[in-house]
Amino acid sequence: MSSEHATSRFLHHLHRIENGLLAILVLVLVGLAGTQIVLRIFFETGLAWADSFSRSLVLWTGMLGALAAVRDDKHIALDVLQRFLAPRAQYAARLVTLGFAALLCAAMAWYGTGLVAIDYAEGLQSSGGSVVGALRACFAESILPVAFGLMALRFALRAFAPPAHAPVLLHDPGSAAP
Amino acid sequence: MIILLIAVLLLLAALGAPLFALIAAIALLGFNAAGQSGTAVAIEFYRLADMPALIAIPLFTLAGYLLAESQAPRRLVRLTNALFGWLPGGLAIVSICACTLFTAFTGATGVTLVALGAVLYPALRQAQYPERFSLGLLTCSGSLGLLLVPSMPLILYGVVAQQFHTTPPVAIDALFKAGLLPCLLMIVVLSLYSAWMARGLPRPERTSRREVWAALKDAAWELPLPFVVLAGIYSGKLAASEAAAATALYVLIVTVLIRREIRLPELPRVIREAMLLVGAILIVLGFSLALTNWLIDGDVPERLFAVMKAGIDSKIGFLLLLNAFLLVFGMLLEGFPAIIILVPLVLPVALHYGVDPVHLGIIFLANLQIGIFLPPVGMNIFIASARFGRPATSIIRASLPFYALLMLCVLIITYWPGLSLALVR
Repeated sequence: MSSEHATSRFLHHLHRIENGLLAILVLVLVGLAGTQIVLRIFFETGLAWADSFSRSLVLWTGMLGALAAVRDDKHIALDVLQRFLAPRAQYAARLVTLGFAALLCAAMAWYGTGLVAIDYAEGLQSSGGSVVGALRACFAESILPVAFGLMALRFALRAFAPPAHAPVLLHDPGSAAP
Repeated sequence: MIILLIAVLLLLAALGAPLFALIAAIALLGFNAAGQSGTAVAIEFYRLADMPALIAIPLFTLAGYLLAESQAPRRLVRLTNALFGWLPGGLAIVSICACTLFTAFTGATGVTLVALGAVLYPALRQAQYPERFSLGLLTCSGSLGLLLVPSMPLILYGVVAQQFHTTPPVAIDALFKAGLLPCLLMIVVLSLYSAWMARGLPRPERTSRREVWAALKDAAWELPLPFVVLAGIYSGKLAASEAAAATALYVLIVTVLIRREIRLPELPRVIREAMLLVGAILIVLGFSLALTNWLIDGDVPERLFAVMKAGIDSKIGFLLLLNAFLLVFGMLLEGFPAIIILVPLVLPVALHYGVDPVHLGIIFLANLQIGIFLPPVGMNIFIASARFGRPATSIIRASLPFYALLMLCVLIITYWPGLSLALVR
């Protein structure tokens, strides 16, 4: 019982870290994009690094969002047939489909690692053996293996969990049913 | 072997496997068959970080979710009611306009249905609109606005279409201009129908000046938004991504710091909800970049055109087929994934038939808009059913006249390119 409690607390903290990181990245993205507009319109200048940095931020927030979507079963799928299956068959279908997604994500984590390795090696060469330079060359894309790896893990866990029924809105203005 | 693979993938799709995983599987198999390693798929996926127009998607989505979670829907209804409520069928027209504006900003039709449906349905019933009409109207209005600035699906179409370097090019602001008149057409058609349906109802009183002024003041912080976005984009002063950044920053400051309708500790959760949608779309887009590359390398669009040309030799015939095809896909896949998957296949073929790529975008969205609430499995039917506490069959029956009206609009939009292109070219 207590170990279960500890696990759920650990998960709770993990989710908070995940949400917090996502929020910070998004707020940085908004702030940076806003700053760029002000600089362009009022001062006819801009931060040279900001554009490529914001594009990387879009990828990072997108990947973290995709990771979060696994937790809520919000990935886009054809769930036509699942609606009509018996509860038992539904669990079996979840096991198969989410297991499949976990495999694919694991494969992409592997290939993503390959991409990072290639750019790390190239960065090492072009920066004359500097590890910092090499890390800089492959840092932005490192989200691919990390996020896909975590997604694989989460899909594998979700395959055994009951489906999530998250509401569409957090502040629901109330049911419109008479 | 290939047939077996296809059968397995189709079965997985039918059982509800995530769409991105299916596309990733096809891309990996395809690259493998072409003798390339899976790392090439990762490289293609990483092109997501190289598309400047893409930044508009998370920013507009964030702004839309913040607005949806605040009291903005209530204020929007109050203001449109003060302005148009006195017309015959006024409240129905209010519903149409409010939903259109709201979906334009959120890009998420289901969110509109949930957020505005809760306010508008009781109001419509109280004003003695028939139950059936009210249900159908709201279910269909949820997806209006997909053609209006700054609709996210429209941006997505632009992002995907830009990969093909068409002449004339598919600029995002051109799409925004092209969507304006078709969207107005739908609003006018639905409004006329509503006015006719409400002819027997007691005519609402004219709103007092005081209420108009109070509603204006109530919505004072949100009021500049549509104008800044519309004026900024239509005048060419702001790129779509800049308009998105300005909107997101402004909405963030107003809802969290000024109005404080979303408390600071809640902000991460709202951001998460918005990014969940963005992530689910971007991951499909990423793999479809790889898939598209493979399809083009394999000359698939050219072959598709060759096959189709044997059966269909006119532009009209092609467009008719396209309409039917898009309705079904829109129903099965909602708007976003349908755009991501179908545009790479359809766009090259459509160009051969002489369809303007910007006009094609409007046709795409107009069809998908109906598909979203098309029976038997359009997503919004089920959202409306949950929202209004009615069985899905009642929602479908209530929506019948609206399918007919919107189909009529789609046919006009499809076969009259001038309506879409008048403001563009």
